[in-house]
Amino acid sequence: MRAAAVVLAGGRSSRMGTPKAALAWHGSTLLRRTVGVVARGTSGPVVVVRAAGQELPDLPADVLVYDDRRAGLGPLQGLSVGLHALEGTVDVAFCCSTDLPFLHTAFVRRVVEAMDDAYDVVLPMAGGFRQPLAAAYRPSLATDVDVLLAAGQLKPAFLFDRCRVLRLHDEDLLAEPRLAAADPALESVRGVNDRTEYERALARPAPEVAVQRFGVLARDGNRGSRTVRAATITAAAVATGLTLDRHVVAAVNGDRVTRDGSTPLVAGDAVTFVSADAGG
Amino acid sequence: MSAVPAAAGGYFGRALVVDVGTGGATVLPLPDPVLRDHLGGAGLGAWLMTELAPAGVGPLAPEAPLAFCFSPLVGTPLTTSAKFAVVAKSPLTGLLTDALASSHFAISGKLTGNDAIVVRGACERPSVLLVDGAGARVEPADDVWGMSAADAEAALRIRLGAGWRIAAIGPAGERGVSYATVSHDGRHAGRGGLGAVLGAKRVKAVAVHASTKVAPADPKAVLAAARDLRQRSFGQATAKYRELGTLANLLAFNALSTLPTRNFTAATFAEAPQLAAEDISDLRKVARNSCASCSIGCEHIYATKSGKKARVEYENVFALGPMCGVSDPDDVLAASSRCDELGIDTISAGGTIAWAMECAERGLIDAPWLRFGDGAALLRALDEIGTGTGIGTLLAEGSRAAAERVGQGSADFAPHVKGMEMPGYEPRTLHAMALGLAVNARGADHNRSGAYEADLAGELDRLDGGAEHVAAAIETEDRAAIMDSMILCKFLRGVFTEPFDEWAALLRPVTGWDIDGAELRATARRIVLLKRAYNLREGWTPADDWLPERLLTESLQVGSGREARLTPERLRAMIDGYYAARGLDADGRPIATLGGQRRTSRGGLRP
Repeated sequence: MRAAAVVLAGGRSSRMGTPKAALAWHGSTLLRRTVGVVARGTSGPVVVVRAAGQELPDLPADVLVYDDRRAGLGPLQGLSVGLHALEGTVDVAFCCSTDLPFLHTAFVRRVVEAMDDAYDVVLPMAGGFRQPLAAAYRPSLATDVDVLLAAGQLKPAFLFDRCRVLRLHDEDLLAEPRLAAADPALESVRGVNDRTEYERALARPAPEVAVQRFGVLARDGNRGSRTVRAATITAAAVATGLTLDRHVVAAVNGDRVTRDGSTPLVAGDAVTFVSADAGG
Repeated sequence: MSAVPAAAGGYFGRALVVDVGTGGATVLPLPDPVLRDHLGGAGLGAWLMTELAPAGVGPLAPEAPLAFCFSPLVGTPLTTSAKFAVVAKSPLTGLLTDALASSHFAISGKLTGNDAIVVRGACERPSVLLVDGAGARVEPADDVWGMSAADAEAALRIRLGAGWRIAAIGPAGERGVSYATVSHDGRHAGRGGLGAVLGAKRVKAVAVHASTKVAPADPKAVLAAARDLRQRSFGQATAKYRELGTLANLLAFNALSTLPTRNFTAATFAEAPQLAAEDISDLRKVARNSCASCSIGCEHIYATKSGKKARVEYENVFALGPMCGVSDPDDVLAASSRCDELGIDTISAGGTIAWAMECAERGLIDAPWLRFGDGAALLRALDEIGTGTGIGTLLAEGSRAAAERVGQGSADFAPHVKGMEMPGYEPRTLHAMALGLAVNARGADHNRSGAYEADLAGELDRLDGGAEHVAAAIETEDRAAIMDSMILCKFLRGVFTEPFDEWAALLRPVTGWDIDGAELRATARRIVLLKRAYNLREGWTPADDWLPERLLTESLQVGSGREARLTPERLRAMIDGYYAARGLDADGRPIATLGGQRRTSRGGLRP
């Protein structure tokens, strides 16, 4: 099942007092982090839906940015735009808000992998609460969302009344061993709504990750795996004494090789640093 | 003897064509347009094979030519330029093969006064071909027949004198093993069975003696360029080769799930740390060495348990280690050393034996002793290949030919493209490289198609091959075509930021040509096209541009849990994109043909 993601960045952030998308997060931004985590948790493109004219922080070049057609209609409006953007290209879209700094790739995978032909929505019920902005939707629901918007029914609950919803309670979510190990308290759905919550979240230590350098990067006693705290690849490089220049590339959990130091890391990641000239 | 026109700087404008059967030699003029279109090395070799090899000739037939090709940079102080290409029709693939080796043979060979030495015919008895400024002559070499290449080289230098430089074959070349090498000073022109071509001519060795000088067009400018290039060669871009050698790849590739293991049934090898440069170099490395005219010094020489020495590269450790499931470094180093003694290509040897191990474990061949992970079995198989005994008779022709004999579906997991065994790059986790391996003229090869660079450089998703991967594969293939023709060592490639422009800037003061980067790009395309056209003439079919069935039907999983799958449809789409971008027809055939109207005024093919 091909999965993509939609990140809703166009909210008013009225309680925060400043756009959440641009909030700093360990050398990056909240939006960059969320985009990076959902990209790693899915296989398809990432769609960011913003308010018309909204300035966004730097994002990877392959992120698709769409504008909300109308302001003030809440998350269903952004959901409509995002799902329409993905209609016909993927089977499922993980949709979330921008303010989930503890979102884990294992959570994203758990939710999208739960989708099957019997359902239209996979809705986490973390802590007993519905999490419509950390849920998976079929892109074909876009038309249903438009009907609700036209009728002024702006809450996600109206959508759930019209389609087949798989609800995942805590025990369902944590039945997946990787998620249980990586995020046992299901902090993936913990948002930051105001300044106090944001600052409290920011004060927590960065995720604990394993870092290993190979080849000539492992000289001078730098062989073997080390555990460091780092929220991005750049931070992991710095923590292990490396400069991420043109001679160095990285891979997270043995996946694609990247030079993008802003790639977010989550707890339990293993970061590999190799010479950019790997090969014969 | 034909008249030889005045040559550009760095060239003599001629090839010496020797019939070792008669001892006669003729001079083939190499006009400036031919040299400018093909440069030297692999490019010039492709042109020579096109011109001199009879269409459809058997690779081991007396009429089949084999060329030692030099380049305009040989003899200059430019670092890493002392290299030569050996080019012929391959007994392993039935198509064109070119393999490079290095050091003093390149310099002395060119300074015989020839840009290439072509060997044709066949001797009645074991012989050595001697070439110097006076021409060519053939002498008996019965006394060194049967020796390893290194021993033969040493014995001939004693006989001929220290001024002679020698390229020789080992016992495997004498016996016609399809992946036998030609070696000089321990460095092998390894791929495609060139040693068997020389062996079929009963030529144990070719000895060359420098007799003249070659003048660059602008010696002062060449010297300045050489100083600059030498300085840049000491930097970070070559640190890997200097400090650990290519074996530094092993653990990194293991971490990235791109280390072919147990005949491509896996892409990680749990015991890889036992073979890693980082861990064994402190214990076993006894020396580091350089080719002539090289400031990098990539050769890392290790000691085997029996006291022998083995040159250690990623490819030989991969092929004789993880590919065969062997993790004991003593076994792998001994196997590598044994390949050197026999004069066989480690990649083809390891790949063919790994295939045989799988056949034995499946009960498809009667060799119950041959099991993955068994170092003693690996060494026994190598010995039997070298001596032409036991299972060696089956394995001496490579995995493709052996699979045709064994049948029973074994071709599906024979690890080759066009008959050439695959190097240590897992195509399912390196999609640009998958394309490069499939379409390259030489077969499964990492030196003529370095597309893995794109997969590992962090600019594209190596598990999601598409148009970007096609463009990257073409770019790296073009770069290789120039580096292998001008010739510079590829270990230097990281120091160039605008390679075609910078290479043109090196060629200008040597040759005197007003050459630029754009012309070199066109030259690269011409050379790639010429090799394809040669192969087409020799029987290539579209089905040859493909990968083994296993790689297209069995998926892998990388460390993140993501599936690494290369479907036939994805590979087909990338190949079609490659054909279109190369200006080939839908079946991969050059629109220009060797005898066709689109040949250029210089005798080459239009790019």
